[in-house]
Amino acid sequence: MTNHFIDMVNADVVMIMGSNTAENHPIATKWITRTKERGALILNVDPRFTRTSTFADVYCKIRSGTDIAFVNGMINYALQNDFIHREYVVKYTNAPCIIREDFTYTNGLFSGYDPAKRAYDKTTWAYELDGDGLPRRDETLQDPRCVYQLMKTFFARYDPDTVCRITGSPKDDYEKICRHYTSTWAPDRVATWLYAMGTTQHTHGTQNIRAYSVLQTLLGNVGLAGGGINALRGESNVQGSTDMGLLFHILTGYLGSPTVPDQKLADYLERLVPKTRDPNSANWWGNYPKYITSLTKAWWGEHGTPENGFGFDYLPKAAGNCSHISLFEAMYEGKIKGLFLFGQNPAVGGPNSNKERAALDKLEWMVAADLFETDTSVFWKRPGVNPADIKTEVFLLPACSSVEKEGSVSSSGRWVQWRYGAVKPIGDSRSDLWILDALAKSLKEAYAAGGTFPDPIVKLNWDYGSGREIDAHKEPDVHLVAREVNGYFLADKVVNEKSFKKGDQVPSFAFLQDDGSTACGCWIYCGSYTGPDKKDNKMARRDRTDAPNKIGLFPNWAWCWPVNRRIIYNRASCDPRGRPWDPKRWVIRWNAETKKWEGDVPDGPWPPEEKHPFIMRPDGYAALFASALADGPFPEHYEPLESPLRNVMSGQQVNPAIKLWHVDKPDMNPIGDVSQFPIVGTTYRVSEHWQAGAMTRNVPWLCELMPDVFVEIGPALAKIRGIKSGDRVIVKSARGQMEAYALVTSRFQRFHCGEHVVHQIGIVWHFGYAGLATGDSANLLTSHIGDANTMIPEYKAFLCNVERKVVPA
Amino acid sequence: MSNLSRREFMTLSGATTGGALLASLALTTESAASPRLALKTDGTTETSTICPYCGVGCGLIVSVRDGKVVNIEGDPDHPVNEGSLCSKGMALFQIAVNDRRLQKVRYRAPGSDQWQEKPWEWALPEIANRVKATRDATFKARDGDKTVNRTEGIAGLGGAALDNEECYLWSKLARALGIVYLEHQARI
Amino acid sequence: MKAMLIDTTRCVGCRGCQVACKQWNGLPAEETQFFGGAGYQNPRDLSSKTWTLLTYNEAQVGDHYDWVYGKLQCMHCQEPACAASCPTSAMEKLAEGPVVYHTSRCLGCRYCMLACPFQVIRFDWFSANPYVSKCTMCADRVLSGQEPSCVKSCPTDALVFGDREILVAEAHRRIEENPRKYVHHVFGEREVGGTCVLHLSTVPFELLGYRSDLPEKSLRRWTEPAMKPIPYIVAGLSLALGAVAWIVSRRDKRMVEKWVKQVKEMQ
Repeated sequence: MTNHFIDMVNADVVMIMGSNTAENHPIATKWITRTKERGALILNVDPRFTRTSTFADVYCKIRSGTDIAFVNGMINYALQNDFIHREYVVKYTNAPCIIREDFTYTNGLFSGYDPAKRAYDKTTWAYELDGDGLPRRDETLQDPRCVYQLMKTFFARYDPDTVCRITGSPKDDYEKICRHYTSTWAPDRVATWLYAMGTTQHTHGTQNIRAYSVLQTLLGNVGLAGGGINALRGESNVQGSTDMGLLFHILTGYLGSPTVPDQKLADYLERLVPKTRDPNSANWWGNYPKYITSLTKAWWGEHGTPENGFGFDYLPKAAGNCSHISLFEAMYEGKIKGLFLFGQNPAVGGPNSNKERAALDKLEWMVAADLFETDTSVFWKRPGVNPADIKTEVFLLPACSSVEKEGSVSSSGRWVQWRYGAVKPIGDSRSDLWILDALAKSLKEAYAAGGTFPDPIVKLNWDYGSGREIDAHKEPDVHLVAREVNGYFLADKVVNEKSFKKGDQVPSFAFLQDDGSTACGCWIYCGSYTGPDKKDNKMARRDRTDAPNKIGLFPNWAWCWPVNRRIIYNRASCDPRGRPWDPKRWVIRWNAETKKWEGDVPDGPWPPEEKHPFIMRPDGYAALFASALADGPFPEHYEPLESPLRNVMSGQQVNPAIKLWHVDKPDMNPIGDVSQFPIVGTTYRVSEHWQAGAMTRNVPWLCELMPDVFVEIGPALAKIRGIKSGDRVIVKSARGQMEAYALVTSRFQRFHCGEHVVHQIGIVWHFGYAGLATGDSANLLTSHIGDANTMIPEYKAFLCNVERKVVPA
Repeated sequence: MSNLSRREFMTLSGATTGGALLASLALTTESAASPRLALKTDGTTETSTICPYCGVGCGLIVSVRDGKVVNIEGDPDHPVNEGSLCSKGMALFQIAVNDRRLQKVRYRAPGSDQWQEKPWEWALPEIANRVKATRDATFKARDGDKTVNRTEGIAGLGGAALDNEECYLWSKLARALGIVYLEHQARI
Repeated sequence: MKAMLIDTTRCVGCRGCQVACKQWNGLPAEETQFFGGAGYQNPRDLSSKTWTLLTYNEAQVGDHYDWVYGKLQCMHCQEPACAASCPTSAMEKLAEGPVVYHTSRCLGCRYCMLACPFQVIRFDWFSANPYVSKCTMCADRVLSGQEPSCVKSCPTDALVFGDREILVAEAHRRIEENPRKYVHHVFGEREVGGTCVLHLSTVPFELLGYRSDLPEKSLRRWTEPAMKPIPYIVAGLSLALGAVAWIVSRRDKRMVEKWVKQVKEMQ
């Protein structure tokens, strides 16, 4: 989230699209309903009328997988009616920048497409540069090659009739959404955009978010209180686990994982450090060398020397994509022999469950740490298999729950909050911290006697106060880990006129060094633990005093990355002279007398006109035109991989840059056809269960509320299929089938898309064969197909069929 | 009034206690002041925590007596949830106190149809041996003329339910082992 | 006198309240199946293990379709018929608002169940030494100056707790400010002499499962004189009425038996 949960109370309009907030983030509704009480409008766009829709002022239905058409239409509405915050757009975005003459768009494809590679050469997706190497700009926005004019032409194709023909939305509702939302172009009105997995889980998920961001930026809603782009994250620490780099493509703090061409630190920096010639661009990622060097120094300490790139040479260099789907494809091919699981349950949560479960059968060993038996850890005794045929060794380790250990978690709003052990671990259970510490010690011991490339292991900097031997009753000191994550000086050093001693904590990332004199486990957490004592742990703060601007920042409650900044891109909340666009809910403001910013921690200390506000962008401008993504500089509508309709926007049916697993690896990856599977299926969660279910399907109070898996079906389809509420139904896709109860509800309505009628059903995906409440997994139906940029699976739109289960007489 | 939070309602009610008490006397024939009843949280130690379910980050208070959790409810001082909780957060008690929780290391041998309980002292070196054997067998030092130093045969999944410090140690250890198939819930 | 205002137009249906009740009061989960009622409702009904229950009702509201929630629980009457009907004063109305019961005084006669105009009192079939049970408004918390557990859990202030007269005024203010949003009636303000649980709704109260045919006068005026001589004949009557209650609730009991059996099998 650019903003945070309490900040929703500052919004005049709240758009909830791609999120079912009431069910998946119920307490966020506290702040949404509170701003509604204040007179704000709540808009909700969803294929189904949900618990979130019940408090929306306008609900508009949408066929799954058509967000881009919907939002591009909203962008068109804003551009055609000039409902844009012009000064913000001119000064803070790349709307005035001139794009190269040879950049084109034709019939669903941008220039540079190579059909053989299914990838773009993005050379033409670039600015025209002036003599100083800076982008040419036309601040009158008149130049036909400026981004603004290109957008006007590009988005004009998304007129209301075309949009509603694609999305199946009633035109009245759609136009209401356009009108209300774009009303926030005025500087003293603001809208927030809330989204979640309904947005990301598509073959064009990243471009869905792009479309939202483009609209928010045109309206001048980014950086303001009550504004921003807010991804509501679904797990208590999925923000923190991402920050800590538990993804193949990133190390901690969003530093890129080394790849094969990055043979040396210099190669890596050459590839990743952005450059600018604009003195007014802060280009914050120019600090990359400090962050990566401090990271590898934290990991290998004195063994990280200038000769080995401060430890960079110990890092593995990955080839290609190693994301979840690729990982399971490799496992299915027998390439992966051993699997660690820390609280993840892919037998239920992964796409194409039949294939992922079959892949597990091929493992030599699995080590799973969890609170309960999960569907994945008991995969060898799942229904339909003979355990004798499965040769995998499984080690199931009992893990502590959150109330039996101490540490921090990062909320979706980037608040890093400390929690404490209330009771001792139950039985032999241990914290994951203890398990990892013990595992590291065991491996160090195993490699001390030799082995392949032992250095990164035996030389790994690992001392968390639990002694050399493994002691079942001695927890590692979590504060030592937290202090390493924050960072410390490795030598006496003077930085920014301040003197530091070896061993001092680094006060903030502005003090990190690229010469090996600082260690920092995660640069964006630098400032979270700034001294040697527990009182220096800012994540544990509990002071409820609000900041002087009284917009609910609560700057002394816990700590927030980066540098306790509660609203990021907040320089954009002011005009170029540092005066808030909206003085009544200002985030920061420039005090001309003290020459300082007041309010939230600003995005950098420089005076207002000295730096462009979007400091993480190399050019400092918000990117209405973006060359970073794989599938286009503007969002363009394509149909989901499995769709009942042809793409009416172009001849390009699906996202041209996605990997086609069913073509590359056809085994167990079939794709369905509309003649066999005429219905759109989607999957989702409910308030009473959580993710793959281990922590709710084992909780009796929650099983009582939601005991069984069910499929929601609209009345029209139910009538055609002869299905009543409470019937058992079979849902089939090209990948598999499942059985569930039917819940026939008017909350699901068919879609009229031009001359076509599309029926959609929805399936709750929390269920599996392990636990107290069991049922078939919805992911038996979903596919190994992912987004062009992230490879997040397309869970939200696929083809299926539903029939009443015939009970033999 | 519409902007009053529940907390303010309580305060306001407290401020008018005198009048309310008189009013309640007039409305009922029962005695005015009922004796305080014992609370299950009386005499407990309170610890603050953060909800382990979704990403909103609500605060909770865990009440403990004699080393046992007796109550978990919302933390009224927490600025995000102000004491409130959804059905999942409210059910955290049944995570802390639940017979289905794993309490022993379990091991499943190849082809077996059941678990065996094992001590940690047995499991850790056994796991380390498996990891070392697989790493050493599948380690790729070079790819053509390039140094890659990666372990191709081991994958890691998970972390979104772990604490930051735990995630950090896993990120660090996995990279030291050369693991590149490192993923978690954020991807799906 | 304290009371609870339930404004279901603010409810988002998360059911924090339903679990909060079980958590604080130590009530076990029921074994349920699919859905016990419309929408996502579970369990099927209030019981000795479920003192409050959220209902999910699909309805046409004005020109648009909606999904409205209701919350079932003891209404904590100002002049409770259950207390009046109780031969041993096991049911007691506290000055602070809650209607509580004293298990040590309870004979198990279940008159209260029959007397309750809202039919919220349930018998504990599960126990060898059974009592009636129902929502107590978390009297233990209320007498310590805290809110009931369900109220505290509510994220959107669909449930608020406070002095009854303040909440009645607040309820009327909401209706006046939003006359198109609400049914122009504060359910519980006058029903059976007034209750300490007040409801606001956007749809007619019958749709949420509340009775619209209740008199404004307290039922106590009828039940109390009749019940005064009861302690002398209690044994006979309690048997007779007990049989009636048993017949009425035998479906409950069958469910419980099934549940016990399943629990035993699990063990």
